[in-house]
Amino acid sequence: MPLLEARNLSVAFGPGAVPILRNVSFSLEEGRVLGVVGESGAGKSMIARTIAHMLPPRFELAGGEIEFRGRSLTRLPERERRALLGKDIAFVPQEPLTGLNPVLTIGRQFGEHLARLSVPRAARERLAMLMLESVHLRDPQALLRRYPHQLSGGMCQRVLIAMAFAGDPGLVVADEPTTALDVTIQARIMRIIAEMKQRHRTALVLITHDLRLAAHTCDEIMVLYAGCVVEHGPAKQVFGEPRHPYTRCLALANPSLSGERRELVALSDHMPGLTELAGIAGCRFASRCPIRGESCEAIEPQLALQSPGRRAACHHLDRVAGIVAHAASALAPAPAPAAAPVLRVEGLTKRFSEGRSIFSAASRDVLAVDDVSFELRANEFVGIVGESGSGKSTLARLLMGLEPPTEGRILIDGRPLDPADAGSHRLRIAALQMVFQDPQSALNPRRRVASIVTQAMEAGSRRATWTQRLERAHRLLGDIGMPEDSALRYPAQLSGGQRQRVNIARALCAVPRVLVADEIVSGLDVSVRAQLLNLLLRLKGERDIALLFISHDLTVVRYLCERVLVMYRGGIVEAGATRDIFERPRHEYTRRLLAAVPPDDLNSRWAGLEVPADEIEESA
Amino acid sequence: MIALASLDWRAAARSPRVLIGAVLALAVVGCALLAPWIAPHDPEDQNLVASLLPPFWVEGADPAYLLGTDGLGRCVLSRLLYGARVAVYVAVTASIGAMLIGGTLAHLAGYFGGRVDWLIGRAVDVWMSFPPVVLSLILMVALGVGVNNVVLAIVLVDWTRFCRVLRSEVVVVMHRDYIAAARLVGFSHLQVIVRELLPATAPLLVTLLSLEMGIAVVVEAILSFVGMSVEANVPAWGVMIADARTTMYQTAWNIVLPILAVFVTVLGFNLLGDGLRRTLDPRLARGA
Amino acid sequence: MLLAVSVLLFVVLRLIPVDPLALSVSPNATVEEIEKIRHEMGFDRPIVAQYWLWLKGALRFDFGRSIYHRESVASLIARTLPASIELAALAILVATVLGLAGGLTLFHVRGTRKEPVLDVASIAILSLPEFLWGLFFILLFGVHWALLPFTGRLSPEYSMPAARTGFLLLDTLLAGRPDMFADAMLHMILPALALGVGFSPAIMRVLRSSLQDVYAEDYIRQARLRGIGEVQILLRHAAKNAILPALTLMGVQFGFLFGGTLLIELIYSYPGMGNMMVEAVRNADLPVIQAVGLVYCIAVLSINGLVDAAYSMLNPKLRPR
Repeated sequence: MPLLEARNLSVAFGPGAVPILRNVSFSLEEGRVLGVVGESGAGKSMIARTIAHMLPPRFELAGGEIEFRGRSLTRLPERERRALLGKDIAFVPQEPLTGLNPVLTIGRQFGEHLARLSVPRAARERLAMLMLESVHLRDPQALLRRYPHQLSGGMCQRVLIAMAFAGDPGLVVADEPTTALDVTIQARIMRIIAEMKQRHRTALVLITHDLRLAAHTCDEIMVLYAGCVVEHGPAKQVFGEPRHPYTRCLALANPSLSGERRELVALSDHMPGLTELAGIAGCRFASRCPIRGESCEAIEPQLALQSPGRRAACHHLDRVAGIVAHAASALAPAPAPAAAPVLRVEGLTKRFSEGRSIFSAASRDVLAVDDVSFELRANEFVGIVGESGSGKSTLARLLMGLEPPTEGRILIDGRPLDPADAGSHRLRIAALQMVFQDPQSALNPRRRVASIVTQAMEAGSRRATWTQRLERAHRLLGDIGMPEDSALRYPAQLSGGQRQRVNIARALCAVPRVLVADEIVSGLDVSVRAQLLNLLLRLKGERDIALLFISHDLTVVRYLCERVLVMYRGGIVEAGATRDIFERPRHEYTRRLLAAVPPDDLNSRWAGLEVPADEIEESA
Repeated sequence: MIALASLDWRAAARSPRVLIGAVLALAVVGCALLAPWIAPHDPEDQNLVASLLPPFWVEGADPAYLLGTDGLGRCVLSRLLYGARVAVYVAVTASIGAMLIGGTLAHLAGYFGGRVDWLIGRAVDVWMSFPPVVLSLILMVALGVGVNNVVLAIVLVDWTRFCRVLRSEVVVVMHRDYIAAARLVGFSHLQVIVRELLPATAPLLVTLLSLEMGIAVVVEAILSFVGMSVEANVPAWGVMIADARTTMYQTAWNIVLPILAVFVTVLGFNLLGDGLRRTLDPRLARGA
Repeated sequence: MLLAVSVLLFVVLRLIPVDPLALSVSPNATVEEIEKIRHEMGFDRPIVAQYWLWLKGALRFDFGRSIYHRESVASLIARTLPASIELAALAILVATVLGLAGGLTLFHVRGTRKEPVLDVASIAILSLPEFLWGLFFILLFGVHWALLPFTGRLSPEYSMPAARTGFLLLDTLLAGRPDMFADAMLHMILPALALGVGFSPAIMRVLRSSLQDVYAEDYIRQARLRGIGEVQILLRHAAKNAILPALTLMGVQFGFLFGGTLLIELIYSYPGMGNMMVEAVRNADLPVIQAVGLVYCIAVLSINGLVDAAYSMLNPKLRPR
């Protein structure tokens, strides 16, 4: 009997019973790993919620069945179902820092959990320490007395993993367990999960948006799109030879770390949301599908067995192989960089004083940016790579004048900027513009799109008329690939990707020479990210604009930039041409960063999974 | 003004609390404005023969005095209506005054941060060390009686409430990137405050204004109860309550009616404020 | 901080146009006699000197003499302050209990049809200030159904016990008179209830919104996913987190509550510091006003200080490493 089995599981939303999950079926055997892959809104988290039977308000089970060891999870009485949670079925959350109660010590929370698992009081502390050791946390005894805010994200996640496996569960459901963590930590966490699964012989459902990650860590992959299963099969096969057009596009929309540079396949638009789902009759992917045929929009394809263990739902499976990524020559060629640098940074340093605590005499200073120097020429795309705490965001703020530097200079066209001088401020914002990371917070919700993108025309004493601004807005929106009618919309009516485009358009309005982009594609879906990256490349070809692209994602930086600066703990540890850095990294940290990314070639082992046991402990 | 126009008034108008609150408040304002025309008697007109008459629904009432008379034979209804004038005048002027001072300081403190914030914060702390009742009493001792002094006293006491609450809100909005983006696009400090910050804090401002009106009515009632508010021959609800205490055993209506007047007025402003907070605050109504 | 407060007080009071001596000297006093008293009291000195004089005295707990009572202000305060503290303490207890119970109830009925009803009821309670609640209770429980006493502290047949601690409730117990204790308690029920009811809705509402915020947090969902029951979640996980933001507001409210004792004492003829303050205000008795105003501020600052201390104790992020 399979451990977990779903048959035609369907979940619907609201009074109109909009189907969020449609006919999802899968079966998971003991000790196997199932990867549920999809972009945001595909419904993958809904599967986890259905297993826990904790659907959000107004979401209801609309049909089908899901069984755990033969017992129906949905029809079980409340008390029995609750008895399973934590014991036989455990969950690992997405946000580890907020997953633990901030006012209780680790020990108290672990103890409470062990009490629930009927561990006798005398044995609880020892068992807790044992579990913490098994997730490679040092000094477990001291850790039990600490509070969550004293731990780093990675450490919290390990605690949560230890708690999940403490009861020897038959099934662990991990919903995007590494998304909120730094790249180098991600690999370690995946390794720990794999180890625990091995040791406790647990089955694992791994929910993720990262197809490559799933390919390296799972036995089977199930791809979801808009609530339907579009493909299901052995992990390496689904990644290596995708049968469904969406899976193939997803795989081709991911920039790679090695090999030839190919243009990303960017699907237009975005996945249909709640409001749009109700109106779709046929295949839900049809509107974006590059091999769309006549029957696709009318008749929904069924998930059919293609070969043993492989299923895909598409009417035109034979055409899928025709979806290819064009070679690098199709990418806009980089115009030769000019001689004198537009932007020059010399010895930039930023120190934050944490203030004195009553217990120590010296004040604790945080060196956020440590003696950073580099140059940027016109039309150059330079990437700044680093993890959290590397100082890259502070660097961006220093460049834009949002913080004054403690030491060092910033020069534009050879002229140094004075943080206190208004004339310098004008010079700076004429040359540099910033695109912020979070489109939700970067756009004023009370302004229309046209008003936002032409905000530069509102500044100062000379105010432009509304007609002038509307005209300019239309042109800008056209440049970034958005329809004209979006000019009069409000940000709340746009999708995440569209908001980010508006963000870019606003920065372009004043015709700057340099764009500083701080993690602008981080929160976006793979296909939307590909759209934006291609947009940036197109802009490079069309205008004279340089880009300082800050990101933690090496693959994206490799795709976009010709030069890379690697930052670690405030300083630049390595700098050079992209190809050199990625093929022949010299600094230890750069090598660690590269090792942390799951490789494209499935036959090569993921180096990040094999970091030795005496690894460098993360500091809180 | 653009800030006010950008608020979702239509959503607000659909809320039952806003409607009921507005109706109550407007009724009281109406009484206040129309008092000289609808009051049946002069509120200071004494008629010792007809003293302590009960309201019309009790036996022994005189139809000339609909709600009865007080210990000196003055018409309760007329005194209530004229008392409304004092209450409404104080409510409107004091709350706008407190909002202007407290709001301006709050935005300056939150926007500029650093020393400005520290200074204003310390001033608010010192001010708020006084229980408001005590402070307003002391201020009235210093300023002397009179309705405008009452308004001044309330403004001087309550600006701190506006300042503290609004400052927290300003700090939250300041963390949004669109504020920084406006500066980067070339807006001056004033432009950022007026065009980006104010529209975001406007919902809270309007809510606080409405709640403050209720508070101002209460403070005025307290002051006139103690005898430190209006001049001797001006009718006010607190004065009516104080006078009626001595005749409480004979007729409870003299004290109940002005209490009810205060209650209804404050309830109206509170419901209005609560309803506005729920409908205008985009966080509660889903948005940014 | 206290210094700043006292400066403020002083400055405000010196703005009075009323001649503080006018009330306390007999109409027949000669100009010289008036001048003599003025010089004695120091009212003829420049304002900074006056403040300095006052401050020196204040540090020795000598607040001067009341113009009206002709008694030292310090002894007046010593007599009346304990009574106000007892009243405030009892009222704080009432407000907290009602506030917690109400807040939990409001939270419990969220999403149901009862919620708007209870919510509006809490707004209605909020709309009646505490002094009107005081009058209302007198009308209802004192006059209409003569159930409870509403004047003074003890019934006329009792006389005050030996003042060993200054706190009447304690003194009656120490004097071995449980019947007097009961009588004193009875007298305090209505005023404390009025004060407590007046301030409880604010606590209810902040507790409700605080609980709502906490229940939306990740760690509550994680606890549920570990199979922990709802009661456990409320008591062990949610309560401590929800109390924290409520505490700050409660501190502010309790400060206001202490100020509210002023009116309640007036209405209930309760011989506390507030009653004395009202009298002093009506008579422009400056030394009393100054000193009592300062005491009120000290009370508010102490309450805030206690609440801050409780907050840092409960919130592990604020405790030193």
